[in-house]
Amino acid sequence: MGDRILLVEDDDQLGSQIVGHLRGAGFDPVWWREGRLLVSGDLPDVSLVVLDLMLPGTYGLDMLKALRTFSEVPVLILSARNDTLDKVRALRLGADDYMTKPFWPEELVERVRARLRRPTLQKEQAVVEVGPLRIDLQGHTVQVQGRPVELTRVEFELLAALARRPQEAVTRQWLVEHVLDPEREGTERTLDVHVSRLRRKLGPVKCVETVWGVGYRLVPGEDA
Amino acid sequence: MKLRLRLALTAVAVTVPAVFALVQVEHSVRRRTTDEVIIASTLSQMQSGGRERCESAPETWMVRSRSPQRPPWEREGPPDGNGGPPSGTVAPNEPSGNGPASGGPRPGDEGPPRPGARGPLGRRLPPVSLYPFDGQFVSRNPQAPALDDELRKGVQDDGVGVRRYSKADGALVQDLLLRMSWDGGPCEYVLARRVEPAESPEVGLPPLYVWGVPTLILLSAMVVALGPVVQRLRRLTDEVRASSGSRYEQPVTVNGTDEIAELARAFQQARAEIQAQMAHQQAREQTLRDFLANTTHDVMTPLTVLQGHLAAMQQRMRAGEPLESGLMLSAMSEAHYMASLVHNLGAAARLEAGAPQVQHAPVDLNALVSRVLGRHQPIARPQRIALESGVPATQTWVMGDETLLEQAVSNVVLNGIRYGREDGHVAVVLETTRQQTFHLRVIDDGPGISEEERSRILERRFRGNSARTREPQGQGLGLNIVHNVVELHGWKMTLAPSEYGGLEVAFTGPLMSPPG
Repeated sequence: MGDRILLVEDDDQLGSQIVGHLRGAGFDPVWWREGRLLVSGDLPDVSLVVLDLMLPGTYGLDMLKALRTFSEVPVLILSARNDTLDKVRALRLGADDYMTKPFWPEELVERVRARLRRPTLQKEQAVVEVGPLRIDLQGHTVQVQGRPVELTRVEFELLAALARRPQEAVTRQWLVEHVLDPEREGTERTLDVHVSRLRRKLGPVKCVETVWGVGYRLVPGEDA
Repeated sequence: MKLRLRLALTAVAVTVPAVFALVQVEHSVRRRTTDEVIIASTLSQMQSGGRERCESAPETWMVRSRSPQRPPWEREGPPDGNGGPPSGTVAPNEPSGNGPASGGPRPGDEGPPRPGARGPLGRRLPPVSLYPFDGQFVSRNPQAPALDDELRKGVQDDGVGVRRYSKADGALVQDLLLRMSWDGGPCEYVLARRVEPAESPEVGLPPLYVWGVPTLILLSAMVVALGPVVQRLRRLTDEVRASSGSRYEQPVTVNGTDEIAELARAFQQARAEIQAQMAHQQAREQTLRDFLANTTHDVMTPLTVLQGHLAAMQQRMRAGEPLESGLMLSAMSEAHYMASLVHNLGAAARLEAGAPQVQHAPVDLNALVSRVLGRHQPIARPQRIALESGVPATQTWVMGDETLLEQAVSNVVLNGIRYGREDGHVAVVLETTRQQTFHLRVIDDGPGISEEERSRILERRFRGNSARTREPQGQGLGLNIVHNVVELHGWKMTLAPSEYGGLEVAFTGPLMSPPG
């Protein structure tokens, strides 16, 4: 079982749907059908809270306020209300995300995953491993399946820029501005040339993915 | 209370005290004049032989003037001297008119009476009796009345003691104690007493014609002056009633320069204001009705499609046939579209309500893009449309209304998905510049919008229009809201063909420093 997630939702159908989907996505959901004003120690050991706002017992935002006095656990707000004031208030009270009904279960699972993933991404790592790729950001070395690969300075900087945000698309404009030498030919065309050279050097592993309309992204890749 | 009655009552309330005060003044003037007449006539009588007669027989001296037919000061000639045996009547001369007479005789008193001099209101003077007193205020005449302290004190201080009182039968008694111009003797002081009977006009109110006539004239003048005023007021009332009865369409026509015309003009202004408000209200109601009708239509259509799909699925399940994924996908898409319509409904209502409904707060565009993508991913993926996004590594803060902004971006993305081709793409690219602006682009490789259509969308100021269609080239409520939201935030929006053959919708606006 994956992370434990606390769901606070009073609607039976929606609650059981969410529980089912979270369980299907590999999480371990705990379901409360009403709001409680929590004090330190009441909260079960969970990695994330999914909190509905309109609750019997106590209002969701009051619950969040009480929760934030003793815990930094990520909180995802669910609400039928799409009001800006509510959103701003919730975010000020320490909510991490806000979803308005109706939503697709897939979206909820994605948001939960993204929220749980974030803290590990924030710290700068010296070595990034993505699939068969191992990039030493400080030693400026790259290995594919344990085999070292020789890269030019621009090629390495390009790979490092993608490696700092694995799985995320980096725009071509950003790469041109931050990786290429602006004194020399710093255009997107040049960038594409560098990317194709880099891909060739990394061999059959398709790690550098083109993102349509956006730019490039580093993915675990598959062997061709 | 009616205006006329109120004014009449006010007139009476003002007139009665005024008449009363006038009567009081008249009484006091008359008394003073009478005093002066009595003083002057007594002094002159004593000097013209009265003293000698008095001093020769102080035990019996006393003068009682008979009630003259006319007041003495009205007579042309000298008074007829038919008094008691020792003397004649009081022979008063013309009053000196110089205020209270001093004790001593004055040369003017000796002069002949001036013709035309009249007493107050020309009434008769009642009889006056004279009694002698010596320096100790003792009279040798047993008939003389006793002197009280008021008279004594008055004569010692001013030379004349005056006292008035009413008898039980209502008669007014006037006593004047005078000091003569000589010292010593039994006639050093002389008391003049006059008794006014109760029925005398001096005691009661002045006659009716004195105060009644002016009061009557005043009242009738008031009623006459008030007539047209009341008439104008009635006309104004009628016109205002008629105007309010005709939903304020009938104007008020009372003209002039007085306060009533001013009131009429004020009502005209109020009427114009009410009419403007009513027109505004009607326009709003019409807008709301149109909006509701359009939205109902917009929601009903996908709902009908969804019902159709669900019914088809149920039929297939009953028949034991496998569910068709295309059918399912279409049903999902309709549900998704309905959700976005309802969100748009809320956004449009807030935009329609005006600026106070818009809440400006710091918004992280990275999170916003992520939420929008998350919402549409479940519907884009099964339609085999790749939904991608690229945002800066750090948060991108702008000032704005989070809900409206999210709705605007959401609408553009949903348009890209709904009208995109299979195996197509929609991408959201967020970039920042060194000039502290952001650049958010939504690009697709769908059919795009023609040049003419694009310029129309940008030039036109949309309001809940009825020309909404679900076609790609339609200007649905979605783009309408996007346009309004961008304008409300003071941002810039451009529509252009994307380099991939579809449409590129770009938003540009200022960044803000990260909130603390």
